[in-house]
Amino acid sequence: MNEARFMTLLSAYGAELSRWPEDERAAAEAMLEVAPHRVKDIWESERAFDHLLALEKDAPASIALETKVVSTSPDRRSVRRPVGALGRWKAPQWVTGGAIAASLALGFAVGYAGEPQPASSESAEYAKMLTINGAGAGSMFLAALDDPAS
Amino acid sequence: MRDPDEELVGRVGAGDKRAASELVRRHLPRMVGLARRMLGDGAEAEDVAQEVFLRVWKHAGAWKPGQAKFETWMHRVAMNLCLDRLRRSGRQGGEVSPETPDVRASATRALDDRQRRDRVRDALQELPERQRAALVLCYYQDRTNIEAAEILGVSVDALESLLSRARRTLKSALSAERADLMSGIETN
Repeated sequence: MNEARFMTLLSAYGAELSRWPEDERAAAEAMLEVAPHRVKDIWESERAFDHLLALEKDAPASIALETKVVSTSPDRRSVRRPVGALGRWKAPQWVTGGAIAASLALGFAVGYAGEPQPASSESAEYAKMLTINGAGAGSMFLAALDDPAS
Repeated sequence: MRDPDEELVGRVGAGDKRAASELVRRHLPRMVGLARRMLGDGAEAEDVAQEVFLRVWKHAGAWKPGQAKFETWMHRVAMNLCLDRLRRSGRQGGEVSPETPDVRASATRALDDRQRRDRVRDALQELPERQRAALVLCYYQDRTNIEAAEILGVSVDALESLLSRARRTLKSALSAERADLMSGIETN
């Protein structure tokens, strides 16, 4: 690593080496060991600025918000599809208990095999939104990158 | 490296409420923090965080391990929701809340950490949204440069350019706070 590369990375990532590209950290540490005073002074200045930026921290989420979010999560009843027709079959009185048990087991197997899957078109649409080639915010962001005003 | 959320996501997809609660505990503060830094509003940030988890619940059942890190996917969802909101409302950066006093004129006044933090927050909102997004992801969301570039749909070089510009803009906006902090360090 040369000084120019070191300064480029310092200007982008600051003095917190854990933010630096993983494959360049060791070289950066070695560089800092033998760097001239002017480079070390710049490093210390960036480190102080990092401390200022680090005053902004995550706050714990409120219990109310946590509870609200968890309440919207799926439960086993909403994930499992209702058992098929055989499960709702009402046995006439003359059917034996064994026959009823066998029928229920078969109905459960039919229902369980039909576990709901997300609608493929919905998943594809959502995946499209997330890609830079899609028509969603990702591509809008990329288009804005070409704007020289920013 | 195995995704630390993989097992939890699988259980959430199967309707395990306890797993959902653990996933919320792990990631909700980060999602709220990202949205608050991008949007500058606590209530809006909570709305975005809730929307992120609604998408998590919707897609957990179909999540395929190994395709991507789940936390990176959540960050992408959250960032896209924030960018959508910013575009819809016409907010692009360069706006400071009118209620926040301008402390730049009082450079010689000693500032405590809370005031400095408030100034950092204001300065973040003044950044152009692309610079803000890059900085928030790398500095506050602990995303690697590769993850952040992927989330934003840019190259690592472009990300580093955004980060450099963001730092330069913030240094200018926070010059009084920097001077105050440095003088405090020198006298200690």
